[in-house]
Amino acid sequence: MNDPTSTPTSQTPLLEASAISKRFAGLRAVGGEDGLSFVVNRGSFVGLIGPNGAGKSTTFNLISGVLASDSGAVRFDGHDITTATSDVIAEHGIGRTFQTPRAFESLSVLDNVVAGATSPGESLRAAFGRAWREHESATVDAATETLERVGLAGRADDLVTDLSGGELRMLEVARQLVRNPVMLLLDEPTAGVNPVLQQRLATLLEELHSEGMTLVVVEHNLHFLLALAEQVLVLTHGELLTEGPPADIRTDAAVISAYLGDDHAA
Amino acid sequence: MNWPQIIVTVVTLGSIFGVVTLSLNLQHARGGMINFGIVAYFAVGAYAYAIFTQPAPQGLDQYKFGFGWPWPVALVAAAAAALLFAAITGWPTLRLRGEYLALTTFAFAEVFHSFLLNERRIGNGTVGLANVKRPISDWGPIEEKYVFAGAAALLMIATLLVFRRLLRAPYGRALDAIRDDEVAALAAGKPVQRMRRQVFLISAIPVGIAGGLYAMFTTLAQPSLFTAEVTFIVWIALVLGGERSVYGAVAGTLGLIFFEEVVRAWPFETVRSAQIAASAEHIVTGLLFIAVLRFQPFDRIAERVKATR
Repeated sequence: MNDPTSTPTSQTPLLEASAISKRFAGLRAVGGEDGLSFVVNRGSFVGLIGPNGAGKSTTFNLISGVLASDSGAVRFDGHDITTATSDVIAEHGIGRTFQTPRAFESLSVLDNVVAGATSPGESLRAAFGRAWREHESATVDAATETLERVGLAGRADDLVTDLSGGELRMLEVARQLVRNPVMLLLDEPTAGVNPVLQQRLATLLEELHSEGMTLVVVEHNLHFLLALAEQVLVLTHGELLTEGPPADIRTDAAVISAYLGDDHAA
Repeated sequence: MNWPQIIVTVVTLGSIFGVVTLSLNLQHARGGMINFGIVAYFAVGAYAYAIFTQPAPQGLDQYKFGFGWPWPVALVAAAAAALLFAAITGWPTLRLRGEYLALTTFAFAEVFHSFLLNERRIGNGTVGLANVKRPISDWGPIEEKYVFAGAAALLMIATLLVFRRLLRAPYGRALDAIRDDEVAALAAGKPVQRMRRQVFLISAIPVGIAGGLYAMFTTLAQPSLFTAEVTFIVWIALVLGGERSVYGAVAGTLGLIFFEEVVRAWPFETVRSAQIAASAEHIVTGLLFIAVLRFQPFDRIAERVKATR
């Protein structure tokens, strides 16, 4: 694949959210009067930004099936995933990380990544057979490679409880990457990550993008995100404030006002 | 002290209850489900075995069902009945987590116990189903008690091997993932709800068979044999043996039953000292329990084994 900046993103929609919404205790978290609608094209690198409480993580939860939308529909890669459960959505090819990193604490770092993959021996019938053994070493190899990719190769045999917050985030990315997702949703991937790892993450995201993976990234570190994303969606109060390429977003008065208050907008 | 007799009893009862502990180990230590009503699945197996083997009711019998079938069929029926009971109780409860699941399963077991006490057409009420048939009375040169001990031990070893095979496959790793973090496991494509249900159902099968063996061994299926005390004994055995491995579950159960049997068989000189010993048994069990929880010796052994591997 070519340099991402020279690769035009296809205009084929991969993810279509139409009029989705979520209320918590009657309060609107995502979606205004008409709900939230947006499209993510195949192979694109989309940034999702907005002030705290804008509904960015809730939007991720609605797409990935952690929460059920109160209205509207979500389509992904030709499937209606509006009411699908998280595991089914993951099998359709949507990977995601969480704002607070999650890990399987009783498993080693390597096994966390291995457990991220879907192996044949996970079905009840296959577990009693022998065929899964042939796939197992391939899964372990893939997990080891993925750990190298995120810079955690040296920690493969460590317990996840020994990892730093930043390393946990990278582990979570690895656990999703090993699944070869079509689209990867990252929720604040740089939070608590040291500058060296951040640089590594930036390089990794560029690589993934050039390999054709569709990326949607929620991030408060705008310096990091606007340097990478091709398209930015800005959410406030659960509604789409504006969208456009990073250069336009940087100078958009409404965006600056939403982030910093009206005084800075002029 | 009649040591050979004690050992035979410990192997028989220890293996029967060991099967139940193994199932708890699968459900709890790997599946992350707390079942405080495990005795009910055991009782279902025992009653099913009794009902399928006993003769049709006559005279003063209040029960309505007695099929007089051969014992192998009845053992299969015991497994099937426990499986069915797990399907019925698992369907509404398995969406619950942690202490809520614990309370619900406990309640189910209590309801079932009360049902056995009051619905005389099924289990003959408080009297229970006596004269449960033992398969064959003449085993030739081998004494019947050894046959029972062997059968129980065989069932336990078979259960252990099947569970170990399941848990060493990627299935076990997926279960660990689900227990550690359900949301992350879902995000990794693990069908959490389906796997929890599978574990709940699979683990009921050997418990049902163990219940059948227990009815065969005691020749009795009576409500007083299946109280919450059974649930707690198996739970204590599981904690004593450590939850890290299937072997711990077995060792914990054998140890606990051995301790109980030795106290029971001790030749006390006076009634008074026997009474003291009986209460001391509970105190020592309690102290052991606290010590295991405090020092977690089995977890340490498991970690050391892992480190040297």
